[in-house]
Amino acid sequence: MQTTTHTSNQTPSASSTKLSDYKIVPRRHYGRLVSSIIILGLLGALIHAFANGDIEWSIVGRFLTAKAILWGLGNTVLMSILAMILGVVLGVIFAIMRMSSNPVLRYVAKGYIWFFRGTPIILQLLLWFNLALVFPTLGVPGVFEARTVDVMVPFVAALLGLGINQGAYTAEVVRGGLLSVDNGQYEAAMSIGMTRLKSLRRIVLPQAMRVILPPIGNETISMIKMTSLASVIQYSEILHNAQNIYYANARVMELLIVAGIWYLVVVTIMSFGQRQLERRFARGSGRVDH
Amino acid sequence: MSFIVQGQSVVKKFGDFVALDHVDIDIENGEVVCIVGPSGSGKSTLLRCINQLEKIDGGGLWVDGELIGYRIEGSALHELDDRQIARQRLATGMVFQRFNLFPHMTALENIIEGPIQVLKRSPRECREQALELLERVGLSDKANAYPVELSGGQQQRVAIARALAMRPRLMLFDEPTSALDPELVGEVLQVMRDLARSGMSMIVVTHELGFAREVANRVVFMDAGQIVETGAPEEILMYPRNERTRGFISAVLN
Repeated sequence: MQTTTHTSNQTPSASSTKLSDYKIVPRRHYGRLVSSIIILGLLGALIHAFANGDIEWSIVGRFLTAKAILWGLGNTVLMSILAMILGVVLGVIFAIMRMSSNPVLRYVAKGYIWFFRGTPIILQLLLWFNLALVFPTLGVPGVFEARTVDVMVPFVAALLGLGINQGAYTAEVVRGGLLSVDNGQYEAAMSIGMTRLKSLRRIVLPQAMRVILPPIGNETISMIKMTSLASVIQYSEILHNAQNIYYANARVMELLIVAGIWYLVVVTIMSFGQRQLERRFARGSGRVDH
Repeated sequence: MSFIVQGQSVVKKFGDFVALDHVDIDIENGEVVCIVGPSGSGKSTLLRCINQLEKIDGGGLWVDGELIGYRIEGSALHELDDRQIARQRLATGMVFQRFNLFPHMTALENIIEGPIQVLKRSPRECREQALELLERVGLSDKANAYPVELSGGQQQRVAIARALAMRPRLMLFDEPTSALDPELVGEVLQVMRDLARSGMSMIVVTHELGFAREVANRVVFMDAGQIVETGAPEEILMYPRNERTRGFISAVLN
């Protein structure tokens, strides 16, 4: 704190010593100190509670690498990736349709976004899984036909449910990205003889990626956790398998912690990958977040 | 006498606003024409119609002898599709007020993008040509710089090189120096001056009356969507006959 109390109108030249001769006393942050002590205290109490609570940490350790858990983890990651790919492909297609000058395409895209954003994902998963109730067989009659129950296995139902739902969200993200690119970029691309589609692919989309990627990264992380909803349609992802184990051994908390640890591991790795990708698409923007 | 651009009674409307009001214009091959006039007079719109960034609502435009935007079949005009319009645009190169370089590509990549992607020429040949063009606009050392690393004047010179890489028959400049800091205007005008001397057909929308006087074969004065007066630079800029031209020129000079 500044304790020097030079009187009001003293000019710099009037002071006998130079300012550079003074010692600088840093300002004290008492508020930070107090809040840090309180928060560290609370954190300590929380850790203490969990350490002494009725949790068998050895069981957590043992099941962390159990075969059923790792298998479930693999399925979670696989489903997240596939559903996200489907979501992004659908998202790009519907975003472009949504911005088309063809009113049919535009309204179909609007309808898609309206329906799949408007209904809970768990309801959509159940719809896909129970499709056999409406359509006993699928395919083109005479060419290819299959019983719906054989096609709509949990894997397929989960992929369609999660991917198509994701597409509706991604479409809006992609549209925002496309709108963020200056119209002059389309004009410049067309002025060198590019068709509309090529301008989009070569010039506008790569620039839109800078805006699209952060939310897509967010949604990928969200997707990893959303796959857990597929447990309701018997898809054998990590939470589903953890539940199956605790139904047998009654170690509910321990297995939930096991699943939680793995979700955190995957999300942490994903966040790192997201940063790398964002850096790549920031080329030429003159702005790179580290 | 062959014309690079012919316009007959060209009309362009934005809603109720008439941007081009029955404009007739003929520009010869190799001619450098400067279009001057107050903002909103339709000069940029005319350029944008010539390379089909805007679609005209009446009349007809021919570029390099070809009717643009339509195909004549019997007594009917058939609208061209996206691909055919893109092909017609190859006759013209466009330089924008705000440069519009592709920010995610280096200067060199900006220049080779069109020749490789659109003209399907070999990348090696395109690179060589791009380096020559960069030298021509005085930016040999900036081949690998991203637009954000370049000054406005440098960006605009890369943009000119990008347009030239497509080997157009006609270059269109839409207020190429209006977005530049005053000390950067000269370097861009110098490149344009060299280009004009090389015999390129050019249409330049500009407020640089000095440049128009020095380089243009002809100056066109537009106001309210119409061509008010056209003639040799000295005629239009020094001894304008029309009241509106006189008013505009004295306003710009003062």
